Amino acid sequence: MTIAATSSSASGPDLLEAYRAAGASGYDELLGSDGQPRRHWAAFIRELALLSAAERDARSTHLDRRVRETGIAYDIFADPTQSGQQWTLDLAPIIFSAAEWRWVEAALIQRAQLYDAILNDLYGEQQLLKDGHIPPELIFSDSAYLNSCRGILPQSGGLRFYAADLARGVDGQWRIIDNHTETIAGSGFALANRVVHTHVAGDLFNAVNAARLAPYFQGIQSALTAHSGRHNARIALLTPGAHHADYFSHSYIARYLGYLLVEGGDLRTRGAQVFLKTLEGLKNVDLIVRCVDGSACDPLELDPAGFEGPSGLVRSCRESPGLVVNAIGSALVQNRGLGPYLPNLARHLLGADLALWDAPRWWLGDPAARQHALDNFDHVVIRKAQEGTGRVGRTALGRDTRTMTASQRDVLKREIHLHGSRLVAEEKIGFSKAPVFQNGVLTPQPFAVRLYVAKTEEGYVAMPGGVAMTVDPDRAVALTAPDSHTRDVWVLTDKEQDKNVSLWRPAIETARIQRSQRVTQSRVADDLFWLGRYTERADWTMRLLRSTLKRTAEDSGPHSGLTAARKCLEVLLTDEDTPSEEKQRLAALPLDALCAQVIGGRTALRTIERTMQSLYRVAHLARDRMSLEAFQTLSRFRPGDPWSNALAAARPGGVLDLLDDGLASIAAFSGLMHENMTRNFGWSILDMGRRLERAYNLSEAMLAMFVPMPEGEEEQGSLRLLLELADSFITYRSRYWLDPIFALVFDLLLLDESNPRSLSYQLAAFSRQLDTLPDGKQGVSLTEDRRLTLALLTSVRLTDVEKLSGPEGEAMLENLLQEQIQSLPELSDALARHYFNLTDDSFHRLHTRREAAP
Amino acid sequence: MILDVSHKTFYAYSAPVVQSQHLVHLTPRDTARQTVKHHSLIVEPAPASRYDGFDTFGNAMAVLDIELPHRELVLHARSTIETIPPPEIDVTKTTAWDALDEPLMPAGRGVDIDVVQFRCISRSTTPSLGIADYGAVSFPKGRPVIEGAMDLTLRIFREFKFDATATDVSTPVQEVFEHRRGVCQDFAHFQLACLRALRIPARYVSGYIMTKPPPGQPRLQGADASHAWVSVWSPETGWFDVDPTNGIAVADEHVTVATGRDYDDVSPISGLLLGGGDHIVDVGVDVVPV
Repeated sequence: MTIAATSSSASGPDLLEAYRAAGASGYDELLGSDGQPRRHWAAFIRELALLSAAERDARSTHLDRRVRETGIAYDIFADPTQSGQQWTLDLAPIIFSAAEWRWVEAALIQRAQLYDAILNDLYGEQQLLKDGHIPPELIFSDSAYLNSCRGILPQSGGLRFYAADLARGVDGQWRIIDNHTETIAGSGFALANRVVHTHVAGDLFNAVNAARLAPYFQGIQSALTAHSGRHNARIALLTPGAHHADYFSHSYIARYLGYLLVEGGDLRTRGAQVFLKTLEGLKNVDLIVRCVDGSACDPLELDPAGFEGPSGLVRSCRESPGLVVNAIGSALVQNRGLGPYLPNLARHLLGADLALWDAPRWWLGDPAARQHALDNFDHVVIRKAQEGTGRVGRTALGRDTRTMTASQRDVLKREIHLHGSRLVAEEKIGFSKAPVFQNGVLTPQPFAVRLYVAKTEEGYVAMPGGVAMTVDPDRAVALTAPDSHTRDVWVLTDKEQDKNVSLWRPAIETARIQRSQRVTQSRVADDLFWLGRYTERADWTMRLLRSTLKRTAEDSGPHSGLTAARKCLEVLLTDEDTPSEEKQRLAALPLDALCAQVIGGRTALRTIERTMQSLYRVAHLARDRMSLEAFQTLSRFRPGDPWSNALAAARPGGVLDLLDDGLASIAAFSGLMHENMTRNFGWSILDMGRRLERAYNLSEAMLAMFVPMPEGEEEQGSLRLLLELADSFITYRSRYWLDPIFALVFDLLLLDESNPRSLSYQLAAFSRQLDTLPDGKQGVSLTEDRRLTLALLTSVRLTDVEKLSGPEGEAMLENLLQEQIQSLPELSDALARHYFNLTDDSFHRLHTRREAAP
Repeated sequence: MILDVSHKTFYAYSAPVVQSQHLVHLTPRDTARQTVKHHSLIVEPAPASRYDGFDTFGNAMAVLDIELPHRELVLHARSTIETIPPPEIDVTKTTAWDALDEPLMPAGRGVDIDVVQFRCISRSTTPSLGIADYGAVSFPKGRPVIEGAMDLTLRIFREFKFDATATDVSTPVQEVFEHRRGVCQDFAHFQLACLRALRIPARYVSGYIMTKPPPGQPRLQGADASHAWVSVWSPETGWFDVDPTNGIAVADEHVTVATGRDYDDVSPISGLLLGGGDHIVDVGVDVVPV
């Protein structure tokens, strides 16, 4: 049975036995033609075999959990019930030997140089078109050719980021199956995969001596700083926003490189300059790393419907060509139709043979190529020449002629004649196979890989890593991986690796001392404010539900405060617009059913489910402002997470444990934010959100429980519940050694500004934070937000707690709390208008058209 | 003929415009048919910054950045232009439409990319199979290109109805084709889509046309209009202008402002505003022979 079991480990042969049994055909990355592991895989297989089977399974599960916690490939707007696009990361990487990598790297660098030269010509003299090196109709039919940008790109420093999708055909030859010259093309996914993989299996990575990614990003960082011309440059990464499939990559890279993550609406241009809207007003931006399509960058001079960049950006670039990287228009050379012309272009422009060819491809604007494709119609896949760059693994499949009806084929043939200049035909080249670790064994699976190149001060360098994905060889001709199963890419090296290089801890020479200089964008401020509000709302709601359920479980008689709890739950589910039938319906529900409504009711706004979804969503939007750990503490609130599902499904008895876990997560999150966040405007805004929400919830609960005043023992129960909700029971007890007494409890929770749970504390803290924000006066008078804050705080401070217990007490209390409940939402709106609203104020178009009558 | 052109655009906004940026093509260019004698452009309120230059098609363009809050904006372009009718040609003597590769991309000699780029479809001139079929009727094998273009011009003139309410500035050319209705801009886009489906070089022309008052009546102030038509290329004529809205070959009553692939390249005024609320626009054009 044991074949060639030279390995010393017991599980070594097992691993490979299963792999061999799966029967790899074509080229296999792991096994040579002799059936033995190739030399560059040996160390990995040996280390993997040293782990027990249980440990391997545990690592594999841990990887996927870690991927979820990191939020890789979480689509904020995707339907959480659809799990099809789940990103997974395999325990087995793709491994390049040092020698093979040297060849691949050189070939990719040559390709970047070639594209750079072509772009400089196409956006400059266009000699390549005049001399017939490139068919002009290939370029002029491409919507990625941006006529308005001619003259800019050659002045910009050229192509800075390039990525290539590669596959090794069944013949063992690497070929490029797609090129990406528009943006950073999802390099954040490669980085995140590596961080996750080394977190879970760093011992394997270290054992094989593979190259680290940090020096690559360090090179980008110093090159961009140098390019900006300023030591203290304000560099922004321009993203289309959270709806984009690559948003995770954008925010991850922005955080890693320490850049601002901005959207088109955050920016304004003025002549040659671009400004960022912040709480402190407009701030100059020195350099933009562009992650939006070139054509959507400037509605003034490019696609009139493209608002992903600021109006006037092309003009700014005309006067300041280095402002945007990659320069606008760079997508042009990723046109698939260029493939057949590249060998000649390499000789012409670089004086060298093209090292790495594209997969066989025909540009259908060329009559001879078109005829070839039509003659071999059964063997080609028809694809767009210019596809643009989407999420890694989501390249379109193309139109496979074999799966078409006769009439569909006829229409396609006509389209090829009409729009051939925008189409290519491709042949399938097959894919080599490499191991994936699934169900406890290694299995050969076909794959393609995306690799990255960037221009640094030493010229172009390739990232020693990338994203590999499992593809379906029957359908794909490109990096199309519908199930998003990914593998890390390891590049073996002869050099000793410095274990401590990471940009999360930048080397001292690249670090700059900056205290609270990071600006807070208006849009981010809005997200942080709501992050504060939702965190507090989640805490409050779960606390209320826990207190209620504990009481039902303990069945502790009339002291219980169950009536009070019920009132609090009901106000949570209603607002002033709730129809009275609904209120009656809620009042008639048994307590269990009422609790279920608070968890996941369909109609109310402040259910736990909705609050958690909103909380996770804004946390996702603001994640470049928090530590990874902080973000991960919220991962159980991600829609579809086991915790969320269990909560929705659980019976009241089982909910208590889940609530404890949820409250612990919230506490951990708040603690991390409190400990780690710099005390800048962002912090102030976050804290204000929390204070405002807490003040509101407290006022609402007090009003519900104490107006009208509860009688007899119910008063005791209500006071106890209130102390519990406000987390002040221990404070009260340590102060008074008495059962709760109305005047004392209200002194503690309304007026005591030293109690961090009291109403006056929330308002005073809100007011202090507000004072740190700029721009407090409007002429000579206070701004609306400051006026409202002062009014609310003053009413609470002027309240006489002795009188609250007196005959007029109930009316006084009602007035006081009603004022809070009315004015706090107004305050929230006033704050938004004052500080965040710049973002709602976006450019819109003005047209004239010609209507001359005949 | 010498023509004085006054093109005044007036915007009134219901709320103050905080900042506005405009890209304008209001300065006529010299062509084989016309010489610009005089031109001025007045903008009120005055822009905080103004960039004047030429686009890659050779059209004068300006980018205006107005930062003063304003409720009204006036752009007034005035030009004096001398036009001459194009030389008489025999359209039947022009090169066949399906034999243009040789003059445009001669083997071993330079490619005329200034013409070739206009063979390619653009965003607003993308033909469907139906549009391609419609256009092909005017171009049987071997037909001289300008003869075919004139035939197509007349077919559009006859079969399409002028209707300013049928379309707006972003109506796709396919819809214009299906309803057979639109304005000069739509007809120009439609004709370009037909021509480019056959890889015939054709470009969009933005300009003015002098109108004649009905017999016996005086010319009304501001009654003329900004206009759009199509220019087709043949080796014999160079760029040859045809007007599908009026069903004619252009003589000396048309004034060219700018030429491009489609409307988006040469839109007279395209603006982006911050604030402004609703707006009213009033355009007055006068083309007066001197």
